[in-house]
Amino acid sequence: MRELETALIGAGLIARMHLEAWIGAGASVRVHSLDGRAAELAAEFGVKAVDSLEEALDGADVVDICSPTETHRDIALAAIAGGVAVVCEKPLAADVAEAEEIVGAAQEAGVPVYPAHDIRFAPAYARLHELVAEGRLGTGTVARFTVAGYHPRAWTGHASAESGGILTDQLLHGVDIAYWLFGDVVRVHALYQGDIAAPAPEGTAAVGTVVLTHAGGALSQVVCRWTPTPQPPIRVTFHVTGTDGTIVHDSDWPQEIQVSGGPAGAFGYYGESPFTSEISEFARALSGGPQPRLVAHDALAAVRITQAAARSAWTGRAVELPVKGAAA
Amino acid sequence: MKVAVLSFAGRRAVVYAELLRGMPDVELLVADPDGAPDDPARGRSTADRLGATYAEGWEELFALRPDAVVLSTEEGSWRALGERAAEAGAHVLCEYPYAVDETGAEADELDRLVRVCEEAGVRLTVASTACFGPAFAVVRDKISEGEAVGDVKTIHGAYNAPRPSGTRAARSGALGTNAPQLLDLVDAVLGGVPAEQVYAQTNGVAAEPGVASAALVTVRYADGTVASLDCSWGAPDAGPSASGPVMTFIGDRASVDYTASPRLLGGFDALERRARHVTRGDDPQAVMLAQFVAAVGLESGAGPDGAAALRTLRVIRAARESARTGQPVDLAGAQPVLP
Repeated sequence: MRELETALIGAGLIARMHLEAWIGAGASVRVHSLDGRAAELAAEFGVKAVDSLEEALDGADVVDICSPTETHRDIALAAIAGGVAVVCEKPLAADVAEAEEIVGAAQEAGVPVYPAHDIRFAPAYARLHELVAEGRLGTGTVARFTVAGYHPRAWTGHASAESGGILTDQLLHGVDIAYWLFGDVVRVHALYQGDIAAPAPEGTAAVGTVVLTHAGGALSQVVCRWTPTPQPPIRVTFHVTGTDGTIVHDSDWPQEIQVSGGPAGAFGYYGESPFTSEISEFARALSGGPQPRLVAHDALAAVRITQAAARSAWTGRAVELPVKGAAA
Repeated sequence: MKVAVLSFAGRRAVVYAELLRGMPDVELLVADPDGAPDDPARGRSTADRLGATYAEGWEELFALRPDAVVLSTEEGSWRALGERAAEAGAHVLCEYPYAVDETGAEADELDRLVRVCEEAGVRLTVASTACFGPAFAVVRDKISEGEAVGDVKTIHGAYNAPRPSGTRAARSGALGTNAPQLLDLVDAVLGGVPAEQVYAQTNGVAAEPGVASAALVTVRYADGTVASLDCSWGAPDAGPSASGPVMTFIGDRASVDYTASPRLLGGFDALERRARHVTRGDDPQAVMLAQFVAAVGLESGAGPDGAAALRTLRVIRAARESARTGQPVDLAGAQPVLP
């Protein structure tokens, strides 16, 4: 099998983790970025940097879009027009119209779009989904998801409070898992607290409290938070109930290795990195392997739900979502 | 101190009587004039077994001048008896009345009882067990001091007790049976700040038709606090530790996770063929009764009072409306509990 030619767009934190994963998956990578950091990143990993998007897409099998959200649409459409497959960091687009445009174009051109919702590859969520898909939970009734974390840098992108601001990013994780487990969402209610508009300084705190009603009747509660301080470290929990039992997780539960004394989080072992699992699953799919666990319509659903939550928080009303046919 | 258990019809009546019997300063009085359909002498025999003083009827019981009563009557007859106890000068502990619809009839009944107790100068306490624990008191006090946790503006919690056995309780669904405990915990921490808006969604996946077995309730309070609560019924054999309640209070300095039944001992129980979960062992009902009895005659009282229970019932009524309409329901102004 020949090497996958991968065009990595962006040179930030996520781009770095994806680059490592692509190299691990045996891909040949060229990096392009508008922030002037591509050359440095490429040199560090011994791959090449290119100066333009055209150059990046030329001869590429797949583009991996890790640039800021507002740039996703144009890059994705350019790739699709050239028959280049798309991997895109979440969210797929800043609003539903752009996400629909990307997914529609991809469908028409027969080009795959794989959204990088890395949380589906984190072991706890992957095992949760396996158990539910095997029917071990019975019929799903109600689920609770929390995620609380600190954002290590100032928020430089522009996102109004009306658009959901910095909470959209955080909310997407819980929403995506709820949708993965319980399916289409028909009603969304959200209350947002804190300073959510971006740009925002490092240490900005915000909380979103969201209730999803799924088409099948199941309910999901998502509480997503940006915490003001780096300590405690990121924490996620879930509590999923069905007619045949519950499945519960708390990232605070000790795993194989616990270090006490010394600096917090000195070392540990948490299994394969979700980025590694994710990119290698995408790479296999692009090389003729099975369809990955999430595709274009999952990205569209996540954007629809997070935008409905933003609208609910802004208007104070619950927002109804029509259940459309899968777009991809 | 004389404490009376009024009838053995209530689901926890015998447990209450046994716990009161074990308290050193309590003289237990019992009346159960209606008996049970299959055992008319239930009251007398239970009283004899417990060594309690048995009264043949309500008149005889109130003539014994109880200092406090525990209302554990059949669902439906609690109010009249509660009023009678209040008029006789006894402090009253009663179970939450179960609402089965949006009419608010039970809130109106409770409202009447609240007024009678007020006029009689006795305290009405609702048996919202979770609110009485000493650990919860630490959470409440520390949040109110403000130092450690800072300003709390977001709360989320869950109470997943299983479907109850009583008919009326079961008909009231998860909103009727499980929401009160959670709403009372929030109310205690917020110090009675009224709710402004309520959103609720329910489903009946695990219940008979027309009954909500799962419910999520989100409340926005007048001070801007948001509370999102999972009141769904849990699995019947999951054990009390799995029910909670659990509650997270997010402050701007720290957040607090409160767990009512934390694991003290783990392991495997080969006889029951399941994981062991042993708590420290403070029986929440014993804690509640002890605090109720200890507070008799004190100014402060313990646990949620009638006004708190009315606030909670208002939220639940709005939650039912919201679940039906699919939209948040505004609670018009902070209605005074007593005009």
